[in-house]
Amino acid sequence: MTINNNFPKENNVLFNRGKFGLRITEKFDKVKCSEIYIQKTECFAIGLEKNSIKDCNKSESCGFSVRVFDKRGSLGFAYANDISRKIIEKTINNAVKMMKAGPPNDEFKDLPFTKKSNSKITGIYDKNIKDLEFERPFDLIKDMIKTSSEDSQVVTQSGDFSSLYTYYYVFNSNGIEISSEETAASLTSSILVKNNRKNETGNGFHWQIERKYKDLDAIEVVNKTLQMAKMNLNRIKIETMNVPLVLTPKGVISLILNPIASAINAETFQYNRSFLVGKLNQKIGSDLLNIEDNGLINGAVGSSEFDAEGVPCQNKKIFENGVFLSLLHNSFTAGKDNVESTGNAQRNSFSSTPNIGSTNLFFNPGDCKMQELFEDIKIGILLDYTGDSPNIATGDFSGLILNGNVIRNGEIQESLNETMIGINLLDLFNRIEKVSNKLEGYGSKNAPYVKISNVQISGSK
Amino acid sequence: METPKPLESNLISKLTKLATQKRIEYWDIRVAFSSGTLLEFTNGKNKEISYSNIKGTGIRAFVNGGWGFSVKQNISDSSIIEGLNEAIKLAHYAERYSKFKFKIREYDLIRDKYTTKLKTPLKDVDIEQKIDFTLQIEKDAHDFDPRVINTNSLYTDGIINSLLINSFGSSIEQFTSILRIFSIVYAKENGNLQGNFESIGGVGGYELTKKADKIGIKSAKKAIKLLSAKPVKGGKFTVIMDPKLTGVFIHEAFGHACEADLVIAKESILEEKLGEKVASENISIIDDPTPSNLSLFGSYKFDDEGIAAKPVQLVENGDLKTYLHDLESASRMNVSPNGHGRASSYSSKPQARMGVTYLKEHDWKLNEMIEDTKNGVLCENWKYGYTNPATGNFQFKTRNCYKIENGEKTELMRDVGLSGLILEILNRVSAIGNKVEFSDGICGKGGQRIRNCTGGPYLRIEDVVMGGLQ
Repeated sequence: MTINNNFPKENNVLFNRGKFGLRITEKFDKVKCSEIYIQKTECFAIGLEKNSIKDCNKSESCGFSVRVFDKRGSLGFAYANDISRKIIEKTINNAVKMMKAGPPNDEFKDLPFTKKSNSKITGIYDKNIKDLEFERPFDLIKDMIKTSSEDSQVVTQSGDFSSLYTYYYVFNSNGIEISSEETAASLTSSILVKNNRKNETGNGFHWQIERKYKDLDAIEVVNKTLQMAKMNLNRIKIETMNVPLVLTPKGVISLILNPIASAINAETFQYNRSFLVGKLNQKIGSDLLNIEDNGLINGAVGSSEFDAEGVPCQNKKIFENGVFLSLLHNSFTAGKDNVESTGNAQRNSFSSTPNIGSTNLFFNPGDCKMQELFEDIKIGILLDYTGDSPNIATGDFSGLILNGNVIRNGEIQESLNETMIGINLLDLFNRIEKVSNKLEGYGSKNAPYVKISNVQISGSK
Repeated sequence: METPKPLESNLISKLTKLATQKRIEYWDIRVAFSSGTLLEFTNGKNKEISYSNIKGTGIRAFVNGGWGFSVKQNISDSSIIEGLNEAIKLAHYAERYSKFKFKIREYDLIRDKYTTKLKTPLKDVDIEQKIDFTLQIEKDAHDFDPRVINTNSLYTDGIINSLLINSFGSSIEQFTSILRIFSIVYAKENGNLQGNFESIGGVGGYELTKKADKIGIKSAKKAIKLLSAKPVKGGKFTVIMDPKLTGVFIHEAFGHACEADLVIAKESILEEKLGEKVASENISIIDDPTPSNLSLFGSYKFDDEGIAAKPVQLVENGDLKTYLHDLESASRMNVSPNGHGRASSYSSKPQARMGVTYLKEHDWKLNEMIEDTKNGVLCENWKYGYTNPATGNFQFKTRNCYKIENGEKTELMRDVGLSGLILEILNRVSAIGNKVEFSDGICGKGGQRIRNCTGGPYLRIEDVVMGGLQ
């Protein structure tokens, strides 16, 4: 690709140093292929404690990493947060030393080759975040403080505003040369409320992450947090029972989307550590189980034109009408399976090798109105949040319901204390009975309300 | 590797002048150089062999309840001055909007230098030797049994050279050397897949690898053992926790609630409980990160605000004695700091954190404890655990368990979760073992991951809610 000359001069330093590094790696006879990832980030954050501003933080970082492979497939990796020519050379020497010392890996095929992207992604960069004035986000935080202070049940709120600007290049010896400039800003809120009459506290949390500054809505974040915290009051212990379960979008993310994202990670899969092994192209869930991973949505938090290895991102159907269709690959796992990478290589920073992750993961909406989800439930459970996560190897899940309520005659009622839920995810997928027609988004995960026909609930009454 | 040089006195006077002019009441600067090795193999193949080199500085400024923090990679004099200027500007912004006004209490300056006590420096060991060592763990695990289907072995080491200076006049240089080893093993039989992981870590040199000599075999053995474990049926039981589970239970369920920053933020169930009975009579809980010959993974000489580590008695005979403090919480609660202001690196701000937290031993032997239990469960090790510090609700997943029937250990079980309310459960302890064992771990809080140790003896608790799949 061509480099946009409007980029700040500093970024051309990144380009030049990245190219410089790649040229050095190519001087080593033993190196079969190599890659330089060079990245600059700037963060700004304001911390909120006890419903008051406590601190402001600014940080910047610039670093690079190098991957070198030899013919035997041995990988040497090294990184540093100094992009002077001297350190680049020294770091590459270290990577080559590591590569030579390492054992072979015959499963490694090659680094990716140049492939044109068919989509131009827009809306993932906002100048208002990159050039953010310190003063500006205080208004958001002040809105958060004001909104929660107006509610007499609030004991305290903590949270933060944070913004991130990232600029990176990927160069490899097979001709890949890509760059991306991205921004994100987020608000988080965690609120403790008290029911003075019963001397009981409840808590809730909510967050919002956006690519564009103007999309942040502090009042909405606090109102959602408050709603969750208040629903956590009036807690009761219940008896053990087998009843219908409704998952909120947060519940769907923790019980369905996050476990699926781990289970379809091709690395987990290839090492036989996923409960979905042996089930590709089989129908393993209800017709209402429709999930896709779409990295090509303009403006979305999980979108980008290329992944962290320079492979174009895609839109993939993961589950369609309950049939399990696709895995998420980076170039290593794709090479091992003799398929094309799905463009799911991700890096938290220059200091990590590319692992595999979902882009924008969607549980697609159904056609059920909210009221219809609940109306025929005589007694059931609403699950909003559990701190537990399923065993990805077996699909078994047993967890404590931290935020959940009893449903009686279609109405959401008391909150739950010491209540556990246990189910295997494959049973859960098969028992999906209704899916709401509206989605809620939490960063790169998007989910509707989902009703499960019956689940074992262990109460402590 | 480079070592941060103590800042020149004329730079320090410049910084002091700048801070005074801008009405800054406290500031500190941490500079660090770190380097490390990571080796990761899976199924005997090379997954990653890496070398890292990181340097930078984190600068804090404080005024009347507001903090500013600036992180720079460049550690030249001009960059440090720019960073302090930025932190000062941010501190004033924070102060303008902050509701809670307080001062940072001054303590006596400390000028010291500390170096990890070790036998074999990490840099004296060739990468080839580290690779061979880690590959042997892989081989041990893989060859243990044909039912082993996936192995993953990791070796990681690092050295950190750091310098801290602050406006009290303290200047502390520390050289820290750490090492940690993991073995993860998955085993499968008739469609039943079970995983196990073991780790060994410490503050010291390459000699720590001796502790991990048989870690691959140990990890594979436990994964195979889990294949024959049965899922458990939920209910209320008498539970005996092994030292690993006791340690992590005390850390998660109690230790976090003792962190004074959470107490101030009204996010701890231990708020306003100082001096009150919070646990059974014989329970004593201590956090002591002082370096010892045990080379514990959570140990340190000075915390990241320059306060010396010392034993802190959190609970004595069931009574809550004190909280874990950083500089800010100690100032706000008008007590002396106790060496628990810790940050994951120069690029993060110190928070009130644990170091080496353990429950003190008493007088029971394990076999006596089992013989004395009619209907119970012996729980070994843990997969994960969490607590809501504001409500005290906790949940722990144990690795495996044995049923205890009429004083005898019987059937092996898996996927057991323990839950309850922390202040209730610590009052139902009915027996405390006679020997403390420590485990290493990484603890996360506010996005920062720091090294930690937990410890305790076998511990018996009555009426614990257990959840399972059935």
